[in-house]
Amino acid sequence: MNNYYQGVDIGSSYTKLTVIDEDDRICYQNIVKTLNRDKQELANILTKIKSQFNIVSVCATGYGREHFKDSHINKTEIYCASVGVSALYPEVKTIIDIGGEDIKVIKSDADSKVDDFYMNTKCAAGTGTFIIEIAERAELPLSRLSELAAKSDFDKELNSFCTVFAKTEIMKWIFDEVPEHDLARGIYISIVNRIAKIRMDKTLPIFLIGGVIQYHPFLKTIVEEKFKQRVVVPENPQMINSFGAALLAKKHAESEMKVKTI
Amino acid sequence: MEQEIKKPYKIQSAKIMKEIMGNYFLGMKDTTKKMAWCTSVGPAELLRSFGFEVHFPENHGALLGATRTATDLIPEATKLGYSSEICSYLTADVGSYLKKQTPLTEHYGLEGPPKPDLIVYNTNQCREVQDWFEYFAKEKNCPVFGIEPPRYVDEVSNEAIENVAAQFKALIPICEKASGQKFDIDKFRETLRLSKEATDLWKKVLWTARVSPSPISFFDATIHMGPIVVLRGTQMAKDYYTTLLKELEDNVTKGIGFLEVEKCRIYWDGMPIWGKLRPMSELFAANNAAVVASTYCNSWVFDAFDPKDPFESSALAYTEIFINRSERAKEKILKGLIKDFNIGGMIFHEAKTCFSNSNSRFGMPLRLKNELGIETLVIEGDLCDLRFYSEGQTTTKIETFIEQLS
Repeated sequence: MNNYYQGVDIGSSYTKLTVIDEDDRICYQNIVKTLNRDKQELANILTKIKSQFNIVSVCATGYGREHFKDSHINKTEIYCASVGVSALYPEVKTIIDIGGEDIKVIKSDADSKVDDFYMNTKCAAGTGTFIIEIAERAELPLSRLSELAAKSDFDKELNSFCTVFAKTEIMKWIFDEVPEHDLARGIYISIVNRIAKIRMDKTLPIFLIGGVIQYHPFLKTIVEEKFKQRVVVPENPQMINSFGAALLAKKHAESEMKVKTI
Repeated sequence: MEQEIKKPYKIQSAKIMKEIMGNYFLGMKDTTKKMAWCTSVGPAELLRSFGFEVHFPENHGALLGATRTATDLIPEATKLGYSSEICSYLTADVGSYLKKQTPLTEHYGLEGPPKPDLIVYNTNQCREVQDWFEYFAKEKNCPVFGIEPPRYVDEVSNEAIENVAAQFKALIPICEKASGQKFDIDKFRETLRLSKEATDLWKKVLWTARVSPSPISFFDATIHMGPIVVLRGTQMAKDYYTTLLKELEDNVTKGIGFLEVEKCRIYWDGMPIWGKLRPMSELFAANNAAVVASTYCNSWVFDAFDPKDPFESSALAYTEIFINRSERAKEKILKGLIKDFNIGGMIFHEAKTCFSNSNSRFGMPLRLKNELGIETLVIEGDLCDLRFYSEGQTTTKIETFIEQLS
């Protein structure tokens, strides 16, 4: 029977699951809301995974990692991001992970070592939650935000560090009859400027991962404009951390096996 | 799960310490004795030489933090016009006074901190103590005296020692009036001798952590430092640290540490997050990360005390404390400790309400990382006000940091 390895990334908004085989190939991926009141959905997915694959090791990551009962190891999402991206792009790089409630800037070695990392401070400005809140106030459909922003050459940002105050600030733009597409671009510029305030090695290529880049692809353009670097968005950027976790689950199983052999 | 909390032993002397600290607080019920309030790195020895019992409002602030009552009390001080971004010891203590709530009631049957006959502060640590102690002096209609040394010194000059020693001497008539006792230099020498012996022992206690596995963690030390803060200048403090040191040295001899295996050794800079002491301690222990040294616990190591020269040596000891030094002097001290304690990583706690005890704000973490090749991490929080602390984010930062070091 073939062995498989599972990574579970329990983020503040979504739980992501990845199963890989012995050759690091992705065999299964799924995503479910983390705080879905219907716990059955995640339970069903886990049952399905168990029935289809001979899972020998599980690694949990993300803010909810401690709450996942069936993991063999827990690793931080920062390390999992570094492992996941490095497996696809073995080079020295900056990883920017924009999630539901935080931004992480990671300097990652070619061999996945975390050289340095920074996170935004306690407020959620510049994160997924920020976009949702501001877009809601501006009555902009989230699903069309990237499409709208692409039509604009607006160059202003929301200055407030506080998401709630930023909502007040965008009202001024609305009163000034700033068009929808400019509002959308302004929101993205605000996020990227927030990232730019975090320490980063500006000589390195940038890899954008996380839920925000998955659903807001136009952010890549703004990041390119701002940092003037090669910017890469891996396929399924929201799933990268669970992929990294699956790779670490495999590494753990291999080291356990070694111990047993010795 | 690979992570589990392993704590092979408890420090047995803790029982004695609890008793000593309990007696210290219960002693405050005795209103026949003269009571002085003093800052934690203030002239306690001089006050004790006049027979004062000494209450340390910062100790009460730490208690409010540790019992997680501070966050509810701080808004009371804010309503009075004290910003929630100034010292949360101050705001919690003032809030406790205004709301008439203190853990001292539940633990020791005290209505609140004892009524002072004299209030004394030293701004060697920060300016907040001045406003804090002046507030209570007014509220309690009590004489107040402030020692104001030169701040942020590179090295302590002779002029600075003379200046501060003169301020110590100027305190004498005020103490005489408040205590009803004449100054006796031999008593001062005696309290200073006891204080010196206790502080030397405290240093040896902390320095046992230089070996691996270390017999005492930073988190243990924040508890065991109680007597050196509130009882220095007494025989009790000296006796306690004699006992504690023996236990720790025995454990060193037996190779017993608070962790069986130290995956990495960490230095903690800045204040403890009092309300999160236990979960923090458990977080590091679960990851086999040994937090073995700190700026904070070292603050009560006073090498300079010399009973032969009580005024000048007190002036030097209380002016050369880490918190009162220039950035350059601090960096030099830290580099020595990093080497002495074989430190691989350094955590800077940037306490939102404690500017003076947050050493990450002028680029030090990056400078130390670049110069010494150690990893550094800045975490945001506070000594008392848990509104400034985000548990999830901090845990992720710390665990990633440990992954980096391992």
